[in-house]
Amino acid sequence: MVRSDIIRGHLDSIILRLILEKDRYGYEISQEISNRTNNSFQIKEATLYAVFQRLEKKEVIEAYYGDVSHGGKRKYYRITSLGKAYLSELVKEWAEVKEIIDLFMEGLE
Amino acid sequence: MKKINHHIDELFKDMPRNTETEMVKQEIIENLEEKVFYLMEQGKEEEDAINKAIVEFGDIEDLKKELGVKEPEKKSMAKLNLEFSLWGSGLIAAFFIFINLYYTPNTIWAIYPIFAILWWPLSMYFVWSRKKWSE
Repeated sequence: MVRSDIIRGHLDSIILRLILEKDRYGYEISQEISNRTNNSFQIKEATLYAVFQRLEKKEVIEAYYGDVSHGGKRKYYRITSLGKAYLSELVKEWAEVKEIIDLFMEGLE
Repeated sequence: MKKINHHIDELFKDMPRNTETEMVKQEIIENLEEKVFYLMEQGKEEEDAINKAIVEFGDIEDLKKELGVKEPEKKSMAKLNLEFSLWGSGLIAAFFIFINLYYTPNTIWAIYPIFAILWWPLSMYFVWSRKKWSE
């Protein structure tokens, strides 16, 4: 398990990426994250919904109600055009961050 | 499934009651139920599945922050103290001046108690400004 506080600052990117691929709902996103990382990172639901709230307020994602599942209506999220722009900013930023950290971490055991 | 509802109700009990919170709550319950169904499909007992879903839900503090649960804001006591001391000392000073002028208009003695009482707002001003500095 990766320490969640390291990933914390990048949750926006992770979630936006997943929503960019297609519209998704909460549980699907947490599933997808666990699957893709082979369970080495699992997002806590409480955190996930906090991120949704924040992103929705920033208007980078928007919600709509979709099909009915076991419980009730699923709330889906789609990325807005602002969100796409924001995500590409995040990608650039990450490339820079990676380069910086690599400067210090590469070549070490 | 009642247990999930109950648990989420418990977590949300300090949250402001409005449509936004209510919608998030419904969303969370819906998704948790879905998770429980999924876990049951994987062969878990309902009881286990619910417990797992609840345990994995995590800490709600972030969500509280997003939904605008203000920490009970400490009212700036220093400012209140200062205001009170100003009014209080003002009234006392006025009282002394009145007594002085009314009974012994030829001797000015009110300045002494007024001088003493002025230490009150002065010290409160000090507390207030020190607090402002530290912020």
